[in-house]
Amino acid sequence: MSIVEFKEVSRVYKNGDHEQWALNHINLSLEEGKFVVILGPSGAGKSTLLNLLGGLDNPTEGTIVVDGRDISTLNSNEMADYRAAKVGFVFQSYNLIPTLTVIENVALVKEIATNPLSSHDMLEAVGLLDHKHNFPSELSGGEQQRVSIARAITKNPKILLCDEPTGALDSETGVTVLKLLLSMAREMNKTIIVVTHNQNIAKMADVVVRVKNGRIQSCEEQANPLSVEEVEW
Amino acid sequence: MLWKKLFRTLWVYKAQFISMVIMIAIGVGIFFAFNVEWYSLEKDTAEIYEATGFADFRVYSDRGFNDADRDAVKAIDGVKDVSRFFAVNTTVENDSDVIALSVSENMNISGVLVMDGEDFDSESPDGLWLSDSYAKANDMHIGDTMKLVYKSVTIEGTVKGLVKASEYLICLPDETQLMPDFRSYGYAYVSPVMLQNAVNKLMPGANINDFYPRIYATSDMEKAEFVKKLDEALGKTYLVLDKDETVSWSEAQGEIGEGKTMGSVLPVLFLAIAILTMVTTMHRITASEKTQIGTLKALGFRDAKILRHYTTYAFAIGVLGTILGIGIGFALAWYIMNPNGAMGTYIDMPSWRLYVPWFCWLVLALMIVFLTTIGFLSVKKMLRGTAADALRPYTPKRMKHMWIEETKTFKSLGFGIKWNLRDCLRHKSRSGMTLFGIIGCTILLVGGMGMSDTMDAFMDTFYDKAILYETRIFLDAENTDNATAETIAKQYDADWCAQRSIQIGDKGFALEIYNVPKGLVCFPDQDQEFFELGDDGAYICGRIARDYSLSVGDSITFSPYDSSETYTVPIKGIVSAMSESIVMTSAYADKAGIPYTISTLFTKETEIAASEHILSSQSKKSIIDSYDTFMELMNVMIVMLVIAAVILGIVVLYNLGVMSYTERYREMATLKVVGFKNRKIAGLLISQNLWLTVVGVIIGVPAGYGVLKYLLTALASEYELKLVLGPATYLVSVLLTFMVSLIVGLMVARKNKHIDMVAALKTEE
Repeated sequence: MSIVEFKEVSRVYKNGDHEQWALNHINLSLEEGKFVVILGPSGAGKSTLLNLLGGLDNPTEGTIVVDGRDISTLNSNEMADYRAAKVGFVFQSYNLIPTLTVIENVALVKEIATNPLSSHDMLEAVGLLDHKHNFPSELSGGEQQRVSIARAITKNPKILLCDEPTGALDSETGVTVLKLLLSMAREMNKTIIVVTHNQNIAKMADVVVRVKNGRIQSCEEQANPLSVEEVEW
Repeated sequence: MLWKKLFRTLWVYKAQFISMVIMIAIGVGIFFAFNVEWYSLEKDTAEIYEATGFADFRVYSDRGFNDADRDAVKAIDGVKDVSRFFAVNTTVENDSDVIALSVSENMNISGVLVMDGEDFDSESPDGLWLSDSYAKANDMHIGDTMKLVYKSVTIEGTVKGLVKASEYLICLPDETQLMPDFRSYGYAYVSPVMLQNAVNKLMPGANINDFYPRIYATSDMEKAEFVKKLDEALGKTYLVLDKDETVSWSEAQGEIGEGKTMGSVLPVLFLAIAILTMVTTMHRITASEKTQIGTLKALGFRDAKILRHYTTYAFAIGVLGTILGIGIGFALAWYIMNPNGAMGTYIDMPSWRLYVPWFCWLVLALMIVFLTTIGFLSVKKMLRGTAADALRPYTPKRMKHMWIEETKTFKSLGFGIKWNLRDCLRHKSRSGMTLFGIIGCTILLVGGMGMSDTMDAFMDTFYDKAILYETRIFLDAENTDNATAETIAKQYDADWCAQRSIQIGDKGFALEIYNVPKGLVCFPDQDQEFFELGDDGAYICGRIARDYSLSVGDSITFSPYDSSETYTVPIKGIVSAMSESIVMTSAYADKAGIPYTISTLFTKETEIAASEHILSSQSKKSIIDSYDTFMELMNVMIVMLVIAAVILGIVVLYNLGVMSYTERYREMATLKVVGFKNRKIAGLLISQNLWLTVVGVIIGVPAGYGVLKYLLTALASEYELKLVLGPATYLVSVLLTFMVSLIVGLMVARKNKHIDMVAALKTEE
């Protein structure tokens, strides 16, 4: 069953008379519980795709259906509800609240989530229970990213959206973070959509979507994705 | 090219730029206004004192001074010039207006300044040189005739000139009157010739040269020295008042003093807030410009050039704010200091030029230098180290754990509270400044409205509660003995009072002896509670108690003028009084053997029949009218203060709110991405403002009380004011402060809607 459906979706940015087609009539359908990697060079439109899916932006035309609901015409408050209920974000730059401790950053989402998981359990799962009273600035980059994963999953969303989640990490830490992300998502049957330009991550994906010049070049299922350990970093 | 960048940077930080300019303009404006006000008042009054030869000393005698007395005073070494002076209150025929008819034998001393008409003629048999303000208020013109009645004599004259006189600079009939009212009270100068003609009608054969009641003298001597030499020259002790003891000098000096106090208290508050906000603002602007500063440095711009570039920003704020402030200052000063303005209704002087004290320019120049230095140091901090260091974005202080976090209460707090609390503690200067702004706003509100409450209570005590009579009758004391006075009192069912001029040391005061069985005059104590005078001692006013360190149980020694007797009386209590006086009952005065002549009656009657014993009468209404004018002026000041407080609050809070918003932009974007709604984020932002407001109000209300107390102490030489703060003042001050905070919070929170989540989250921390 497809959880994400893009139908003839375009996103045009207007700058004076100049129009820039970040996405140009794309169609895409993604299955629930899959690990999807969106690949493409800078400016290809992959982040725009992720922003539309995450409810951070509205398409200029076309419809986006997520979990049976059309999100392309939602207003600001409905979008906020959608983000709170359906999607979890993991960013390249972690985006933790510097004035909240680790446990508070994770527990923060309980304020808005409809069916949150235990923040304590999630921290334990990402192996940072010992650091729960630390501030983000007291953690390493990898640790901060693990907190951000714990935060995203605590919300208990159907989809996890990750924008270059390992982009700011060294390869060793990147591997650890990816491993964690995958194992947690698989265990909890989450759909993970990762946007990256790192070809290696694509080797682990169930589905690889290639984007170029605002269009989908290909959308391929991989029958035998590699495990994190098998990928050469 | 850098200039273009400068203007664009200005545009980017326009909210901060404008709010800083406004803050500085208000601070400078208030500083400038009060200082220009008191300094101009000093210069302008000096001008009329100088032009009319305002006397330094006034010597009084009940018997009068003859030519020999005058010449003896003139011969005193150190006396520059003398004049014998005569003044008496006359009533305008067929009218209740009172004109102080005045004669100065030598018009070089306490004479007049002719504003219109003929020069003063010392030989004129029928010329009246009338107060131009009285003429204006009563539509009188040069050439009009006037009939003035004194006792049974009518003096008729023609208005030959319209004048101003330093002797009547503050033209009050007596000390119960707070404001001049030229509609009913004025003055006119006539020549000695005309006075002689009038005297001839009253006492045929009498020569005025034998009984001028005062000698005025100009001299640089100290009072003690003058009195000593005078005693030697005249062989007798007379009542001598120096300038400080005359209304036209002391009240004007009081106004100047008030201006100086206001000019040093309020502007300090505003300027301190402006400067501290500038420190925070410049730091934050340069912090957010750090990468640009680094880029310029990396490109090869010298530090000096970059410093100059960014310092120009602070310099521009300083210069613009100061120029605007000077404009505001002049406008405010003019608003107070013009013939039709607040001061114009009080002081009757010809010139209303505005003067700026030299130190104002110095302070303003230092202010600009200081603001520029703040900018300079902020940029210098960001330029530290290599170009690579400068290129790194500014990182705010790392979060540290606080002891409070270990407490159960803290742990149980919601995330919003924790977030805001830590944010306040992380950005201490910003929060501190916000707090400071709120405190300032509350202080001004409490101070301004408290002043109004205090004055209201003062007026209520002294006019509504202390004056229960309808009419005050002034008797012709010279020609009315006490028995006659008591008969008239009986006729009008009146209470009465006798007044004597007394000396304590070498200072003049009033002794007021009351007989008030009907309770038409009441006496408030220092707490403005009313009490009955006892018959076993005297009551001194608060100012005498303070100046001579006297309290109940002590005794006080005084001597009436024109008498070699001294009296020592026990102090029974301290009264609140409009004038500096000692009060006692007639029963006690009799017991202590203090002689007196009844001079004033107080009655419920409103119709007073003409009598040879009655000089004039005054209705309670005319006293209350002057009080209303005074309160109107007061209210204008209060409204101005409240407006200033609200502007201050809005500007400071908005500036800091925008900075806080910019700094937390990324955090708010994160919250938004996670699924928080705009309303909830707005709630977080506003609640921080509201907390700071709670703390600010808790500090601000007592601080406002303190500032008010300080101001009242500074003004205590003029009035005996008891600080009163009504519940409405507390309520309105607190509500208004919260309203300002809430409005600004909403203004800032509105920006939430425009958070660009995508862009915000892409940036590196």
